[in-house]
Amino acid sequence: MLKPKLISQVLQQATTGGVKATILLNPEGSLLAFAAQSDRDARIYGAIASNIWTIYSKHCKPEVGPLSFLMLECEEGKVAITVVSTMILCLVARDDVELGILKAKCEALTRHLEEPLSRVAGY
Amino acid sequence: MSEELVVHFEKLLTRVDGLLSAVVTDRDGVVLLRANAPNSAPPFTESALGCTFALASDQASKLGLKKNRSIVSVYGAYQLVQFNHSSLITTFVANSSANTGLLLELGSELESVTQVIATALHERHSGAL
Repeated sequence: MLKPKLISQVLQQATTGGVKATILLNPEGSLLAFAAQSDRDARIYGAIASNIWTIYSKHCKPEVGPLSFLMLECEEGKVAITVVSTMILCLVARDDVELGILKAKCEALTRHLEEPLSRVAGY
Repeated sequence: MSEELVVHFEKLLTRVDGLLSAVVTDRDGVVLLRANAPNSAPPFTESALGCTFALASDQASKLGLKKNRSIVSVYGAYQLVQFNHSSLITTFVANSSANTGLLLELGSELESVTQVIATALHERHSGAL
């Protein structure tokens, strides 16, 4: 079965080099696991990320394909959002982190978590 | 003026491989300028794209990272790159394989052009009052 402590440890490994928070949440915006400075920050990032993901998912049509990645650039930070199995993965970083490294971290985490999370997705 | 801007936008479409469409809308989704690559009709409603971005950008500005500048959304076959240029929204629709970094750079380059449109709109609006 899935070990919740290990998920947090994996997320913690990505929370380096300017990444402030790594959050795993379900599509409704409830947190599953996170690595952030405070749980208040994680809750705020998670709620907004899930909301924005839902907004952009509305453009999905057969000819467009599924939404696979979102990248938000703000004046003081960057956010990358992607889907892992049925869950949403969100990385929040400082402004000086390049979008490419943020995307690479997202893809590495997705590869690592996809298989174990798909086992519990049906429950 | 409007024709010159459309020509300028159409030139941009030829500069980036995979770029299919460039649209400038206001925050209500009203299309001000549209340029499409020849023989391409991206399956998005331009006005809906503007509204979506306005909504998402307002949400993103509440993350505590100050004002949102741009949002990139990648779908199976397409990607959208959208910019918050003062009161206007610039949207690029491209193939999902197009160079995202190039599109982001192009958007920053276009900020001065959209600023011209925003100023003209503002002047017309204040003249009407």
